[in-house]
Amino acid sequence: MTNMEREDGTTRDDLVQRVALMEAMIAEGRQTTVRFGWIFLLWGLIDLVGVGWGELQPDFRWVWPITISAGFVLQFIIFALRRKGGYRCGGSMRGRSVAAVWRMMGLTVLLYVVAAIVQHKAGQISYIAAILMFVGMAHAISAVILRWWAQGLVAGVWLAGGVATFFVPRSYVLGVFIAEMCLGMVLFGLYAMWLERRMSSEVQGERA
Amino acid sequence: MTNMEREGGVTREELVQRVALMEEMIAEGRQSTARYGWMFVLWGLTYFAAIAWTMTLPYTEWAWPACIAACSVVFGIVRTRQPRAGGKIDNLRRHSLDAVWQVIGGGIILYLIAVIASGHGKETGYLASVLFFNGLANGVSARILRWWPQGAAAAIWWGCGTAMLIFTTRAEGIALFVTATFCGMILFGLYAMWLERRDAGMVQAHA
Repeated sequence: MTNMEREDGTTRDDLVQRVALMEAMIAEGRQTTVRFGWIFLLWGLIDLVGVGWGELQPDFRWVWPITISAGFVLQFIIFALRRKGGYRCGGSMRGRSVAAVWRMMGLTVLLYVVAAIVQHKAGQISYIAAILMFVGMAHAISAVILRWWAQGLVAGVWLAGGVATFFVPRSYVLGVFIAEMCLGMVLFGLYAMWLERRMSSEVQGERA
Repeated sequence: MTNMEREGGVTREELVQRVALMEEMIAEGRQSTARYGWMFVLWGLTYFAAIAWTMTLPYTEWAWPACIAACSVVFGIVRTRQPRAGGKIDNLRRHSLDAVWQVIGGGIILYLIAVIASGHGKETGYLASVLFFNGLANGVSARILRWWPQGAAAAIWWGCGTAMLIFTTRAEGIALFVTATFCGMILFGLYAMWLERRDAGMVQAHA
């Protein structure tokens, strides 16, 4: 088929352009996630601090409220600093959909955690498993939207952790939670930050 | 500014066209959700059936698996028979919404299987979690479609989920679950079906 041949009124060039546009949009959506890799790292470390503090002072009820509040303050400060540095969220449809997923996941987990802590239900296995499932679902939705296998793998780790929580002995649940934070948050955050650095150096190389 | 004047290399006419295209895509996404209103009603009735079984029938541990399996079969049959939406609706928003509902639907089933298989069905937390999962799905959809009725449905799910962690007796839990299912799923589904019928009536009137 030559470039000028038509199939359903569409030329081959049109199709090539459309595919290129779709690929560019997917890449832009991934870049948006990669730009926010630091958030995964931040919350992974914050949760690990909360777990460690909780182990050191098991009777102190304010461990998680203080830790989570500190996390939000830190996130707000880093956002403000990055905005000053000229970082902007991607405006593509995929980027906005992924942002919607993570904002709503954050709101859901916040409501869930606050209600459970206030009512002292945070020790139930189904509660801990649900938190892992929430994060796993957000990763899985992002992975499907962005068609990004690396994030799909992370989603699988979170969802597997959520299911495993129900079946492992109670003393291992904390270990599952820590493993999830290290693999699904800290490592993925570092990977996203490495990708961001590589992309920006490539862009600088092209400009030079 | 005339139609031919440029602002950042883009004419006013081009900007108007882009805004119109974006609005059209949002409207298409909403129409698409309205088209699947029956799914909300179907799943709402399934939740009711499962709750009724756990309250009145024996073998309560089979209530949720059996009801969800039966609903999935009905869902699959109706979905395959329903004609596919037009090409215009298969846009990026549609793809994102499909991802949201498929992943969260699959996640809820996975979670419930793990709860039942591990014998944690007596914990109050798991039903509250299911309400929060539904709130998450509706919240993300509402945000993508910028559609406040679905945002209200999400708020109902989140509100009832939060209340379920506070009011923990069995009767209170069931009342909250039924309220969330009725308002956030069945009523919203009926509203979506009414929207679909209204839009179809308008299209026929124009034709």
